[in-house]
Parts: sequence; structure tokens; C-alpha cells
Amino acid sequence: MKGITKPFVCLLLCMLAACGAKQEAEQLPVYRTLDDLNGRKVAALTGCFQEAIIEKEYPEVEVLRIDNAADVVQALATKRCEAVVLDDYIFLYHSQTVKGLDYLEKPLVTATMGFCFGKNKNVELRLKFNDFLAKIKADGTYDEIYDRWMYHANEAEMPDIPLPQDAEPIRIATCSTSPPLDFIRNGKLVGFDIELATRFAQYVGRPIEWSDMNFASVIPALISGKHDMIVAAVNITPARAEAIDFSDPYFECGSLIGIRAENSAKQAAETNVGGKGILQGVKDSFYLNVIEEDRYLMIWNGLKLTALISLLAALLGTLLGAIVCWMRMSRHASLRSVASLYISVMRGTPVLVLLMLMFYVVFAGTTIDAVTVSIITFGMNFAAYVSEMFRSSIESVDRGQAEAGVALGFTPVQTFFHIVMPQAFKQVLPVYKGELISLIKMTSIVGYIAVQDLTKVSDIIRSRTFDAFFPLLMVALLYFILAWIFASVLDFIGKKAR
Amino acid sequence: MIQVTHLKKTYSNGLEVLRDVNATIQKGEVISIIGPSGTGKSTFLRCLNLLERPSGGSIVVDGQDLMSSKTNVPHLRQKMGMVFQNFNLFNHMSIMDNLCIGPVKLLGKSRKEAEQRAIELLEMVGLAEKAKAMPSQLSGGQKQRIAIARCLSMEPEIILFDEPTSALDPTMVSEVLGVIRSLAQQGMTMVIVTHEMRFARDVSTRIFYMDQGIVYEEGTPEEIFEHPQKERTRVFINRIRDYCYSIHSPKYDLYQLQAGMMQFCQRYFLSQPVQFRVQLLTEEVLQLVPLDKGEVDLALRYSEKNETVSLELLMPVGIVSVLKDKSRQPDELSMSIVEGLCSAMTEVVEDYPEGPRVRVQFELAKI
Repeated sequence: MKGITKPFVCLLLCMLAACGAKQEAEQLPVYRTLDDLNGRKVAALTGCFQEAIIEKEYPEVEVLRIDNAADVVQALATKRCEAVVLDDYIFLYHSQTVKGLDYLEKPLVTATMGFCFGKNKNVELRLKFNDFLAKIKADGTYDEIYDRWMYHANEAEMPDIPLPQDAEPIRIATCSTSPPLDFIRNGKLVGFDIELATRFAQYVGRPIEWSDMNFASVIPALISGKHDMIVAAVNITPARAEAIDFSDPYFECGSLIGIRAENSAKQAAETNVGGKGILQGVKDSFYLNVIEEDRYLMIWNGLKLTALISLLAALLGTLLGAIVCWMRMSRHASLRSVASLYISVMRGTPVLVLLMLMFYVVFAGTTIDAVTVSIITFGMNFAAYVSEMFRSSIESVDRGQAEAGVALGFTPVQTFFHIVMPQAFKQVLPVYKGELISLIKMTSIVGYIAVQDLTKVSDIIRSRTFDAFFPLLMVALLYFILAWIFASVLDFIGKKAR
Repeated sequence: MIQVTHLKKTYSNGLEVLRDVNATIQKGEVISIIGPSGTGKSTFLRCLNLLERPSGGSIVVDGQDLMSSKTNVPHLRQKMGMVFQNFNLFNHMSIMDNLCIGPVKLLGKSRKEAEQRAIELLEMVGLAEKAKAMPSQLSGGQKQRIAIARCLSMEPEIILFDEPTSALDPTMVSEVLGVIRSLAQQGMTMVIVTHEMRFARDVSTRIFYMDQGIVYEEGTPEEIFEHPQKERTRVFINRIRDYCYSIHSPKYDLYQLQAGMMQFCQRYFLSQPVQFRVQLLTEEVLQLVPLDKGEVDLALRYSEKNETVSLELLMPVGIVSVLKDKSRQPDELSMSIVEGLCSAMTEVVEDYPEGPRVRVQFELAKI
């Protein structure tokens, strides 16, 4: 550890310094309408309705698809694109924090949002929501909520809304990266949508079971029957309405073309290049990303979840791998071919695709939670790789060893456990360790099925603090430490066994 | 003790190794199985403890049919030790553990009891100081002695030896044979597949000569080695081993020649005095022969049956007769040494396609 700390810190400081360096001044283009952006890169949320409109009406614009709104805004700020298309409230929310942004005056289109329900499923719940919406619009509650989150999002507190615990919960999919509608603060889901949904749950007298997932996953999750409704700032579009049912619109928004102020005709250039020292910068970043809002709790929970998934998947995978290995080395041709097929399918499929398949198809109708699905999926994948390691290490033990064991009077099974396995174990340990480490890192994709692991936590933090550098670096370091601990434990076991 | 009838073994590729083997092994016997390579000696041995599954026939051990599904084969194997060509010590365990694992896990002995017996056995094979060593730290001969001790740790009633010295350096063969010899003296029942003719002759109570997938001839060592009844046995017993070396010029590699001869002598267990005399004879004979007149082929021959050693030279005819024309000898002393070492010397001219050559033969006198 000690040997690598120094270069690591140097690298970190260099990168910080580079970030702080002033960009060279140059002749900048001025954007007045979307037509000025022809041939330029424009970022938008993956799967949002504006994306389709731009593609159709401005075919020469190059669309950059990004998974969450904070990253879309960051892409603009860090000059990876020339403009962004976002819902107006989102852009305005973010531009309070990220300085140096502006927008084109002419809004693209207006859109409405609705909560989503399975097609022709939960009709009763949907109608109840419509009633509820009409009711709060009439009695002023809606305006109160709107005012809280649209104008005072940064200091707003979620009111305490008690829910009954004994009734059947409403299973709601959300995506916590779209403030001020859905976001996480102090480790809790908050926002306009969230409050609205919570009040609705109180209205129908049921608790809520939240699943926080990527925006791209919420609709498939609803269709697969994993959830009863979506509360995730979903725009109502005809294409979506074919697959799912929308409630009455509960929110109206326009769309904005966001640009950097330096490209704005208003030339209200007010850039945010601070002259802070590097150390102070790191300190501030640390405070912002870790201490503020008790984010370290969220990080700690994410870390625990990543460790738990890795550990249990490794145990399950090792057990399953041993079984597959046994089948693969069996005398029966049928068992052998089943094992071979399993290994080639598992090794030939991207684990992300497998994860989604398991969550949205295989376990769609069950109540098994996403963490368990992750453990099972990574266990299955791990098994395919380690079974082949087991096999080659067993085969590397000289046949004479087993013969000597049998000749001494051991049964074949005793021979395997007393003679062959201890020797194979020594052979397999180094490669097994490598595979285990790669498993830990592979679990970083569980955010796709709403598991709030270490990587997902960093996404959430980034969407709130607009600091890409520090959370990512911190998460990288945490993964490194986790992998190091796992490897050390394995080394310890290896030494003990000897 | 063991009754083998009509034993057959055909491999899955159709190769018929054992055609029809019939044999009886009594308690206290030491049986050596000899014969040319590829005649199923090892396969037969491995069938006896079912490491190879026979294709037909029957093996009855102490009244229990080995092929019957009711027989507890692992239990029978405990009483039937086996020593392998490649030792097969358990590589991940110390020598002590190698000797204790069987008694502790299979015979239910306590670790302490097992260790006590292990030390006795290690003393018996002369390796008590290696108890804590790992197998990889031992020489081949030491490993094989440990393997024998491991067999004995299970208190077997019979030990099967599968070419116990074939994988060893010639220098290490005798230490292993020594241990087997002492076991024979203690009355241990043993079946030994071996290529060491002299050892087989000395140690065995009976010899199986295997050829063509059957026990072709069996008998006491005397019967097999002195009066073999059948033609193939006779050819095998009387075959002559030799070591050849060609000398092309006076600058030949004397050390290579000598090393080759010593290795040959060790392989066939020629005693130290014989080795010394072979070396001396070779040196003196080469003194007598001019080496600059053309190629000289040298052959050291050993007849396992008669235990006679002879040195032969094949030379161009141009060279003056070594034996007959004594007056021209440049070195009288060499000649007298050679005469002293040999019991017979012959010299003949033979025709070869490329012309006549002289063959001179020196037969080493027995000590």
C-alpha cells in the first residue's frame, strides 16, 4: 500500500491542477437558435422525448445520449458538447449550482408528466391517483408542494407524512437523479414527485416500497410486473402511452436548449474560475461530497452492499462452480455436455445483459429483491469461470497421486478430498484470486437494477454536487481497498491451508 | 492367497494386452514377473488390485471374488500394498504425513500410534532423519524407499511392486533393491514386475515369464534361468546386453567412453571389482591398438544368463595382428596385463560389404 500512495497523490494533485487551469481565450461562436447548432454536439437524456424531436427536426445535430441529468449538465460545463436539451425546471435547478450557463430564449416544446402504471393493470390505483390529484389541486396542497420544490429546493424539507405499515405496499420505481422532482438528500429520497407520491400513499392508506434505478430501466421494470407504478418525472408521449398507462398530467414543463454563457448572445459571461489553492480545493470537495448531508452514511452503505454482493456471489459461484466442474469431469456424456453448454453460454453473454434478463424476465413475477438477483447472477457468471479453473487445476495433479491414494485403500471420493483437492487448491489459488477481484469490480453495474451500490452512490452524489472528479476517484479508491482486503483474506486462507 | 483364472484385459482401443492369464500366489511367496516390454506385466499387476478393470476371467483374493459387486474393494486394497514406478508420494505432505494418512484415516489408529510406527518403518528403510522433509527434497531412491514404507504403514499382507527401479538412476537402484531384499527375508509376500534379472533370480521363490499376453512359463529361478523349457523364454534369458562405442581418431573422448561403460556396468549390477577390471582392460587394449589407421568399433558385452563380460574390437585388416604377432608389440607390459585379465582371447577376420575386418574378442576372467 505504502509504495503506491505517493505516485497516486501526485497524480491526483496534477489532475486537480489541470482542472483549475484557465482555458485559453479564443473566438467563440454565438448561438441564437437551434439552427446555429447544426453539425454540433447536443447532449440529452437517454430516452427523453426531446431527443426524438431533435433527431427528427434537426437531423444534422449530433445527439449525445447521457443517462442522468446532472451528467448532461456536466457535459455542457466541461465542453464535451455545445448545448443540451433538458426539461426547463431541471436545467434551471442545475444552473443554480453550475455557473456559467445560459439558455436560448425560445423553448422547444412543452410537455406534461404523469405517473405510470402497467398497461390495463392497477387501473383502480390509477383512477384513485387522478381523484387524489384533482383533490389536492382544488384544496391548495398542490401549490404548496410546487412552491416548496420548484423555488426552494435547496433548503426545502420533506414534511413528515406518516404511512400505515401493515397494508400491502405500493411498489414504486423511481430514478433519484432528477432533482428537484426526485433526488436524494441526507440519504433519503426527496423531491416534488416523491412528496406527491407519499401523500398519495397516505391517501390510499398503504406504505411504499421504493426502488431507485436508472431512468432507462424504470419502464421495463414496470412492464415486467416488478412494480405497481413509476414516479420518475416521466414525460407523457404517445409512444410510451402504447406500452404503459399514464395518470392525468401532474406537472407541466417546457424544454430548454442550454448553452454555455460564453456562447450566449447576452454575453453575460460570468465564469466560475476560482483561485482556490489545491489543498483547499480537495478539502472543499471532501466536505461537499462526503460530509455534507451525511453522505458518508450513503457511501458506507453502498460499500457494504458492494462487499455483500461480491462475497455472497463468490461463495455461491464457488459452490456452483464446483458442481459444474464435477459435471464437466463426469463420466456421463450428457452431464459433460450440459456443463460445457452452461460454461459457454455464461462466458459468451455480457454479464450486464444477463443481469437485466434475470431481473426483468426470469425473476420478473417473483418477490425476490434486486440484491438477491444480483448475487444469483454474479454467482452464476463466476461459477462458469471458476469451474474451468477448478478443472484445469485438478487435471494438473498427476494421475499417479490419485492412483496411489486408491491403491492405499481410499475410496475415490476420499482420494479426491485427501489427496487431489489439497494439491489442486494450491494451484488454483492465484487465478481464483484474480477472478474474485474482477468479480468485485464487475458488481459496479448493479445500479441498473436499482441496487444502491458504491458506483450508484457515486452517481447520486455527482448528480447533487456536480463534482465528477472527487466522487469517482473516491469510489475507485474504495474499490481498490475492497479488492485488496478480499485478496488478503484469500492469501491468509491459502497460508492457513498449507 | 490370490487365485487368477482366465484373466483377460482388452483396452478400449481394441488392444488385447492380457489374453488368458492363470496364476496362483501363495502366502510367503516372492514372485518376480519378467518378460519383454509390452507383454502386459504391469497390466497384470494393476489388475490384481483393480487399478485396471479386467475384461474377463476372475481374481479371487482370500476367497473373495474381486469382480463381484459385493466385494469391498477399497478394504481389500488396504491389505494389498502397491509400489509404483514413479513413487507417487503425496507431494503436498511431509514424509511423516505420507506415512500416517493411511493408518489414521483408514485403520483408525491414533496419530501418536501412527507416528510411532512410521518412525520404526523409516528406520527400517534407513530414512528416519527425513521424517520432516517434503517429497520434493528427496532423491529418487529415497522416494521409492519412502513409498515402500508407506505401503508397510498399512500393514499389508502382500505388496505389489510395479517396476520399482525403472525410473531410478543406476546409482540408486541398489538402495531400493536392498530394502525389497530385506522384506523378502522377513517373509513378506510380494509380486515384483522387474527388469533386473539378477535381482529376480536372487530374491524370488518363483518366476513368471510373461509373453504374448499370458504367463508363458513359470518356475523356480533355477528352472527359468538355467533350464528354460520353451523357446521364447530361452531367447529372452540368453539375450546379450551390449554397449558400443566407435573410435574415429586417436583424439577420441576417453571420458565419455569410460562413463558410458560404467553406466552400463551399473545397470546390470556388475560388481565394483568387475567394473574396475572392465575399465583397466579397455585402457590397456586401446594401448595395443593403433587408432590412426581407421575406425575402431568397440563393444562391451554382457550375458545375463552366464554373467560373462567380454570386450570386442572390430578393426581394419591393415592393423597388425594384436594377439599373434607378439614381437611387434610396442608395449609388453600392456599385453601382459591384458593376458592376466582375460580368460580367453580370439581373433578372426570377417567379411563385410565394405571389406574384411578383424574381430578381436577378450573375455574377462571371472573373479
